[in-house]
Amino acid sequence: MSIPHNGEWSRVHPVSPLVRGWIALAAIAFVIGRNWFEETAGFRGDNNSAPGNPLDGTALLIAAGILAGVLLILAGIFFLSWWFTRYQVTDDHVRVHSGVVFRKQRQARLDRVQAIDIVQPLLARLFGLAELRFEVADAGESAVQLAYLKLNDAQRLRALLLGRASGAGSDTGAGAVPPTGGTEAGSDDAGAEDSPGGTGTGPAGGTFVPGHLEAPEQPVLELRPGRVIAATLLSGTTLFLLFGIAVVLAITVATSEAISLAIMLPILFGTAGGYWTEFSTSFNFRASVSRDGIRLRYGLLDTRTQTVPPGRIQAVSVTQSPLWRLTGWYRVSVNVAGYGAGTTSDTQARTKLLPAGTLAEVFAVLALVLPEPGTDRPVDVFTAGITGRDGAGGFITTPRRARWIAPLAWRRNGYALTDTALLIRSGALWRVLSVVPHERTQSIALEQGPLRRRFGTTDLILHSTPGPVRPHVRKIDDGDARTLFLEQAVRARDARRRDRTGRWNSSGGAPAPGPSPHLSPEPVSKEYPHEQL
Amino acid sequence: MNGKTENMPSEAIDPDGLSWEHISPRYLTVRLTGWAVEAVLTVAAACLPLILRSIGAWTWVPDWLAWGLPAVVAAAYLWRGILLPRQVRAVCYAERNEDFLLRRGIFFQRTLVVPYGRMQYVDVTVGPLERAFGLCSVKLHTAAPGTNAVLPGLPAAEGARLREHLSERGETQLAGL
Repeated sequence: MSIPHNGEWSRVHPVSPLVRGWIALAAIAFVIGRNWFEETAGFRGDNNSAPGNPLDGTALLIAAGILAGVLLILAGIFFLSWWFTRYQVTDDHVRVHSGVVFRKQRQARLDRVQAIDIVQPLLARLFGLAELRFEVADAGESAVQLAYLKLNDAQRLRALLLGRASGAGSDTGAGAVPPTGGTEAGSDDAGAEDSPGGTGTGPAGGTFVPGHLEAPEQPVLELRPGRVIAATLLSGTTLFLLFGIAVVLAITVATSEAISLAIMLPILFGTAGGYWTEFSTSFNFRASVSRDGIRLRYGLLDTRTQTVPPGRIQAVSVTQSPLWRLTGWYRVSVNVAGYGAGTTSDTQARTKLLPAGTLAEVFAVLALVLPEPGTDRPVDVFTAGITGRDGAGGFITTPRRARWIAPLAWRRNGYALTDTALLIRSGALWRVLSVVPHERTQSIALEQGPLRRRFGTTDLILHSTPGPVRPHVRKIDDGDARTLFLEQAVRARDARRRDRTGRWNSSGGAPAPGPSPHLSPEPVSKEYPHEQL
Repeated sequence: MNGKTENMPSEAIDPDGLSWEHISPRYLTVRLTGWAVEAVLTVAAACLPLILRSIGAWTWVPDWLAWGLPAVVAAAYLWRGILLPRQVRAVCYAERNEDFLLRRGIFFQRTLVVPYGRMQYVDVTVGPLERAFGLCSVKLHTAAPGTNAVLPGLPAAEGARLREHLSERGETQLAGL
């Protein structure tokens, strides 16, 4: 089986409905099996008291007939749903038609891609199948969800989609720019190729056949199981558990009754669930980087491979919960427009760029998100943001006079600027550093309530796409806030104008947020006709 | 304090050559109408214990509660009513070359800048009360739900002009995400 690449229609793997509907099948099998078992057992029981055996061939035959009928109907439904689900990949779009009674036709623009995930639930893994999710910026729901394809086909389809979305080799995006950069990148990292069934066409070979190489990738880091277990045990879930135990003990002591131990059960279930989610979604975590963006792999039972193309990360945060301070670990989370802000474990897992890492690993990951930190001494600035206080690293913090409304955090709260990003620091116990690249700023708000006004401080909020990162500069001086507000609007505009990550391969070079006039395939004035200053 | 704070941010935040446009004063009538209806209904509901007590149905209600409840509710509404004119006056907006600025609030102030290139779409909504006064509301949407850029109480013509203008600006500066 091969993947469609020239606009022909194709279907997902025929086993897919079974893999998706296995829960329904299991439920039916369970009900029927239990009935059958109880009946036989019941008849056996009756045999002793009442003479005559009503269980004969007819009863069995009827039961078998009903079972066969149900299975046939299910098979019919499965077949229809499979038959009517078709997808197509053209140069610019991916389309999916689905639905039997209520038909649905969906089309997504390839250059609007925010991320492509390949997901393998446990059962699909057993069959060697995988689900491909094509995410656009609609916060949560996948634009295109192909379940299931053969793993190889899913990977090839991903490479094809990324290749076309990036503009590499396609004439529509880049004009007549030869894709030399792509070839260079390919030869650089030839040792790290991870190409399923590649035929050696080269990543930017102009024509895309359904077996062309995936962009070669370089491993950046991987987490060992020991780290994942320790990080899980020291996570916020443990704090929640300790808090729960303390409350229960207090109630028990106060009422001198052991009844409140019953409260422990939901707490224990909650923590067990929290531990499991944390552990299973961080297990075997590996991050690598390729021309087509950051690639993450993880999962214990269900495995997932995420690809986030350059420039799709809207904001990034480095956080540290109190217990992780003992081990010096940090978590890196990102906002990606396609992933949304759901509170489900699925969304939380997808937005983790680094589940638990040392400072060095944090920097390795940050370097992927911000290839150009925009400062001469990035380590100093970002370390100050992650762990520091006061003015170190160029941070501007909450003024001393406002320490009464932020007694713990006033030395942490603050911001720092680099040429490419705004760093926002907050939290004394739960340390948070949010980083927003200038070109990813959506809108900016200044907010001030009566209390903040009393202390001459203002909050500045950068609105980002839904996700775990909420960049919020807390309680900085009025004047600083207003200056930042106005200047940031200008900086964001200028950075946006330089941003060339939309078709990240079309100009031939590695994606760089910095100014690169010689790489621009089109003159600036084309996109901003009224801005020819 | 309030008179001072109302003008305070505008002075410091205004870039040179920027003029804030205020929304239509007629919007105050819309808000006051809504406020009056809401106030009458709520105060009436708060009077219920008092009425029930005076007809002898509820004898257990103490004096202070029967009179205090409507008094507190009425006072709260009066306070809101006093603030309304200034709240309406505090809503204003400004168009710049590259972005759109929006301001509202007296006690809880919010100043917002939305770049044209970041706008995904623009909503114009008209409620029945607003229509009676020839007004409309404009809402700017970006990819971030936190933006929440609502501009109420615009004259219908100004709303339509703004919608066209914003959409046009948004198209010429479209920058994806």
